[in-house]
Amino acid sequence: MARNSTYLVGVTPAALLLALFFVGPALWALYSSLTNLALVGIDAANPRFVGLDNYTRLFADPDFWTVIRNSVVFVVGSAVIGQFILGLALALLIDHAEHRGWWLGALAYGAVLLAWVNPALIAGFLWVAMYDFFFGSLNHVFLSSLGFGPVDWIGSFPMPAVILANIWRGTAFTMIIFLGALKTIPPDIYEAARIDGANAWRRFWDHTLPSLRPIAALALLSITMSTFGTFIVIQALTNGGPGIATEVIALYAFHAAFKSFSIGYGSAIAVVMLALNFAFAVVYLNWSRARA
Amino acid sequence: MPRYSRRRFLKVAAAAGIAVACAPAAQTTASPSGAAPSGAAPSQAKGLVGTITVSYPDELGVKPKYVDQAAQAVQSKNSGATVKVDLQKISDDLYYPKLLLALQSGGDVPDVFHFGGDSIGELADAGYIEPLDTYVNAWEDWKFYPDSIKKGATYKGKVWAIPYGMDTRWLYFRRDDLQKAGLASDWSPSKLDDVIAAASAVKSKVSSVIPYALYAGAAASDGARDHAFVPLVWAYGGDVITSDGKWVGNSPAIRKALAYYQKVYGQGLSPKEILTSTKPWTAMRAKLGDGSLALLFEGGWVYGGWASKDKAGTEKNVGYLLHPTENGGPSFTIGGLGTCWYITARSKNKELAWEFIKTWNNKDTVAKINIEDPHPVARSDSADVPEFKAQQYLVDSTKSLEKAKFVPPDPNLSKITTAIQKATGRVANGDSAPDDAAKQYSADLKQAIGADKVVEQ
Repeated sequence: MARNSTYLVGVTPAALLLALFFVGPALWALYSSLTNLALVGIDAANPRFVGLDNYTRLFADPDFWTVIRNSVVFVVGSAVIGQFILGLALALLIDHAEHRGWWLGALAYGAVLLAWVNPALIAGFLWVAMYDFFFGSLNHVFLSSLGFGPVDWIGSFPMPAVILANIWRGTAFTMIIFLGALKTIPPDIYEAARIDGANAWRRFWDHTLPSLRPIAALALLSITMSTFGTFIVIQALTNGGPGIATEVIALYAFHAAFKSFSIGYGSAIAVVMLALNFAFAVVYLNWSRARA
Repeated sequence: MPRYSRRRFLKVAAAAGIAVACAPAAQTTASPSGAAPSGAAPSQAKGLVGTITVSYPDELGVKPKYVDQAAQAVQSKNSGATVKVDLQKISDDLYYPKLLLALQSGGDVPDVFHFGGDSIGELADAGYIEPLDTYVNAWEDWKFYPDSIKKGATYKGKVWAIPYGMDTRWLYFRRDDLQKAGLASDWSPSKLDDVIAAASAVKSKVSSVIPYALYAGAAASDGARDHAFVPLVWAYGGDVITSDGKWVGNSPAIRKALAYYQKVYGQGLSPKEILTSTKPWTAMRAKLGDGSLALLFEGGWVYGGWASKDKAGTEKNVGYLLHPTENGGPSFTIGGLGTCWYITARSKNKELAWEFIKTWNNKDTVAKINIEDPHPVARSDSADVPEFKAQQYLVDSTKSLEKAKFVPPDPNLSKITTAIQKATGRVANGDSAPDDAAKQYSADLKQAIGADKVVEQ
């Protein structure tokens, strides 16, 4: 009993903060998604309860399904494939380099971290400065010095362009998590494996990977959710264009709420996003528990 | 003479205040007399009393000195008044949502703000702004505003905003580029397709020059609407909105306008990068200015940027014409109220807020700011100021308004703009054929503003 109340005291501040900054806004979004609240016009002055109208409209919107597809491609490309695999590979390489005492490992660590400490907007603009057709350094310094004409990087490869920028910015997170996890694996496991004659690949496959699995599930969950909710890099780079080729769900919600000023509709999109994130969380957590 | 010396002190303080307000990182600057000793009891103050905040976005840097002058003038005339200036060095695109959130949230709002006149409808319906009829009716200078402009500032029978520099647009063309393409330096299209023909000539004969910039998609912001889609629909004899305020979805003119997009983008006459660049108009304006773009329909104010860099070169090489129609030469343009001054409904000191707007919109300021940032003047007497009359471009711009058509200040304009951006972006990017994009435009409009507010023709 006394132990329970100690827990309660410890948990309360965090629970209150979560309620204030997460549950509160989520409930508000849920409520406003059932209204026609707007930032301008008559609906700003007198918002009405419209039931599920926003959701009916959303599911009938042909763009919405393109947006969902874009989001999946963006999340799989930049989080699952890019940041996760690259982060794991970098962590393994840096860990290896550290064991061997190579200074290059520290340099690589610093470089990856530098990309991460950039605010997303700055990262977005850095890539604009490289990709931009008219002023970008890729065209005007790199290609022109090789004697090639300019390439419309963003227009011709919109999704790969935003995925690459997001991988660049976000890889550090998974790398740090995996580096930490690698340090927790007792070295005697490898010693024993080595004595048994296991080669590097077998040691990785049989020992490193299983030890990393619970952490991998957590890392995947965090980066999937944060990538699903991110839009600042894309907003700075393409603003969802050309057409809606890079419009992801978070950007779609932002545009509905702050370009068309339909807060109700934007909230409905945000609620769908929340539901999808929740589904991801359930799947990942089940996966990590089942295999751990 | 304590009173006299106090006034003198105020003048010095005012000068210091302006220096602060003009400093590069100026944020909300407490005004000169705000810094004055609080010795003046309210009973001693003459004129209006209290404090107002004037909020405005400015990236160009032209407005601050006029705003500060007006703030100072209001304070010198009303010794108990304080005008705080909130200069936001961001684009209108970023300023507007920020302002709307403040207006909606119920927290502190500015008393006076500065924004585009095409937002009158949506701001008035939301209850954010104060009707100005009582003020303008008592204002002697209101008679200098032509009826067409007064009508533009009126929505649901009330005046909501005070414009000072009107928007007009031109089809700009580079004489040097067109000459190199084998066209006359005093080129003038006899029909809309001649613009495409000229762009094709540039494409085939002057490979280093971008032939034409036709704004499309979300990245082009309001440019996709005002500088491309709407004038094209007019050029094909249609309209975007009916006289009874319903938006036109799928119509022959809208299909033709979108087919024009397909021709231009399909033949590679306009760079697709417009769809993805950040603020593509920045690059396009710069390129027309230096001759690396040949044709561009753009705001009249853009000319000022070119002329300030190279006046003689601009006058020699940049031609400007009205928009041609399907079967006719330069015939019309698209006008706008330009940026206006508004009073917020929640302002606690509307009298003082009006005093600021009235002071700012004097004959000389209206003339001077529109010389510096070229727009036709909203006050007819400002057009008589000799420096204004001396500029041929400004005289032509003012005259162009006689041929201007306007998009009414509909409260749904933001949503409609989004639908226009989608439709033009789809065709320009090759995702949809014009007829399909027109159908989708109609569906988008219905979804955004309700089927009862959309008609098909």
